[in-house]
Amino acid sequence: MKKSGKRILSFTMAAVMAVGCLAGCSSEDSSTASGGTSGKSTGITLTFGSHQSGLPTSGIVQKLAAEFEKESGIKIDFQISPDAQWRDLLKVKEQSGEVPDIFCADTTNSLESAINPEKYCADLSDQSWVSRIDKDVLPSVSLKNKVYGITFPGKKMYFYIYNKEIFKKCGIANVPTTYQELKDACAKIKTKMPDVTPIYEATTDGWHQVLPVAENSGVYLKEDANLFTELNANKKKLTDIPQMKTILNQMKECASLGYFGKDYMSNATADAKEAMAKGKAAMYIAEAAFRDEIKADYPNCKTNFGIFVQPWGDNQVIGVNPASNAYFISKDSKNADAAKKFFDFLARPENLKKRLAGQPGISEVCWPEIKGKYTDEDQKYIKSHKTAKVLQIGANYVDVQFMDIGKDIESMYTGAMTPDDVIKSAEKRRQQQAQLQKDPAFTS
Amino acid sequence: MDRKKIYPWWFAVPAAAIFFLLCLLPGLLGIGYSFTDWNSFTEKINFVGLQNYQKIFSGHSEYLSYISNTILFTVATTITKTILGLLMALLLTRPFIRLRNVHRMIIFSPQVMSFLVVGLVFQSMLHPTTGFVNNFLRSIGLGSLAQNWLTDLHFVWPSVIAVDTWKGMGYIMMVIIAGLTSIAPEYYEAASMDGANFWQQFQHVTLPLLRPVIVNVTVLNITYGLRVFDMIYALTNGGPGNATGVINTAVYKLFSTGDYAMGTTLSSVLFFFMLALLYFILRSMENKEVEA
Repeated sequence: MKKSGKRILSFTMAAVMAVGCLAGCSSEDSSTASGGTSGKSTGITLTFGSHQSGLPTSGIVQKLAAEFEKESGIKIDFQISPDAQWRDLLKVKEQSGEVPDIFCADTTNSLESAINPEKYCADLSDQSWVSRIDKDVLPSVSLKNKVYGITFPGKKMYFYIYNKEIFKKCGIANVPTTYQELKDACAKIKTKMPDVTPIYEATTDGWHQVLPVAENSGVYLKEDANLFTELNANKKKLTDIPQMKTILNQMKECASLGYFGKDYMSNATADAKEAMAKGKAAMYIAEAAFRDEIKADYPNCKTNFGIFVQPWGDNQVIGVNPASNAYFISKDSKNADAAKKFFDFLARPENLKKRLAGQPGISEVCWPEIKGKYTDEDQKYIKSHKTAKVLQIGANYVDVQFMDIGKDIESMYTGAMTPDDVIKSAEKRRQQQAQLQKDPAFTS
Repeated sequence: MDRKKIYPWWFAVPAAAIFFLLCLLPGLLGIGYSFTDWNSFTEKINFVGLQNYQKIFSGHSEYLSYISNTILFTVATTITKTILGLLMALLLTRPFIRLRNVHRMIIFSPQVMSFLVVGLVFQSMLHPTTGFVNNFLRSIGLGSLAQNWLTDLHFVWPSVIAVDTWKGMGYIMMVIIAGLTSIAPEYYEAASMDGANFWQQFQHVTLPLLRPVIVNVTVLNITYGLRVFDMIYALTNGGPGNATGVINTAVYKLFSTGDYAMGTTLSSVLFFFMLALLYFILRSMENKEVEA
């Protein structure tokens, strides 16, 4: 190629690059442009980041988003990440200024540790739907009297879901109420139906294995009713709860006796429905409405499923978690108004009803105006038991490390850690997190 | 030498400025922050001296296991990738192999795949119940060899190293092939006239002349190994437990919990370690070149 030819080529390429850069700069404007005479906001696309369990598998949120798009012209682009990675990913996104317009996060008693809403979330206190949310649940999306999120699932209560037919075939007349009875039931299932895994345990998602330790706080509170206050005042440590070690030891014993099956370390919560629907497993920790999810995904499944309180540590108190997951709007979002419109849309009574009907995994929404789905039998069973706040709601700095505790429990199963190590490690992280946040009870 | 051909020093200014702003300055700032208590919960940053470094190197710190895991991964993958890459290169430069370029392309192709894709695909292939590997073993009557590849402490590291070797071996092979083809055939002719067999030729001709290439490949493997993140993140997420956690997965975790200072401290440790290691490797390479 001649020199002049090369020069022309290089100038052309430089010009193309320059135009490309400019085009890149202008793209943001086009995405936020609104127009049209129909009142629809055209051209807006809201990004919605969530973990898998933040959006019902039935796709009801996506369906509602499609209806919203039809009505308003605002499109929702869902970006879904695996459960095990979302908490870390969201925080990294927050710190690097790449938070989606709307994001889903697990709520807790310490919203500050979880997502630091003052810094990263739009204030929604003035929204009309705020007054309609369950007053007990509102604190889980609030900080310092400001509301930052909208939430839908009702209070969470985790039970053992069990296959009534398998129990009957194995001669288990009553549901286990103590650890020994749970072990006996597992032994019977393992002997009489060797192809059935007595308890489906899923560890790969990082959180399911923490439930026996976190949800059975009734056992801890039985010994010390002021436990949560003392933990939060740093007058007691997690290492001062002997029942926690008892439960971890029991979990380890069940794992080593083969009651969780051979591959529990590779099991995912997403496969639990199949395992239960096809009778491959007899028990699984989930919310009562998990049974509806099974029926929705496996309509041919005629199995009868029941619920019973997790009897780890001989617990008979139902753990109640008023927090679930909620949707927040990024403080820096240029589309905050459009996102608020979407929240308004989701909060309409007819859409709340659609959500409850379209999300088999929940029994109620945290909007008192909408009637829940608990059966009379469930309600009778729940009413016959005491309830207690779960550990991650009662004690600060536990929920924020839920996945880390899950990893430590995995280590316990592999033999790399002992139950004592798991508790010490959780307490160490609690102290570190409290000191990072300059909690006066932990720093003075 | 025509001195007019030498470019003036200020031609390097734009490149040097970009390097300074995007590479050197963040690195120096990171080292600076490692002596503070910088975190996401307060705007005020206090100087804390060597406190963060003390936390890392104190008796039972979990960070030491991340450092040792990183070194284990680096050493193991460097050895496996270099040896297998060398063997493949030797094999695929033999004249009797047909369709050499096709074979080379197939072995090289995993290199261009995303780490996340490779991680997720192998996560599924190595699943103990539904994964291809165990199902294949069962189908050929070797069910007793089926394992929990990614959740058993005995198999998780070999599995991770094997997947990473599979992905990176092709690249090393291509670099070594380039080195092998640059060795003048006269050396081999002279050696064979002296009666040297294949092994003797390899030992006394190929290996010495390939030494600079192997040193380069080692440097590449070591810098990759010490920086590893995505492969571990996608394949095991540091598990089971924290068994396969490496420095960069810990840095990621620390940043996500808002403890920026510890994150930068751990990154700085990695930086110093890598710098020291590369200094010795490059020095040893220089010496060899002088000897040659």
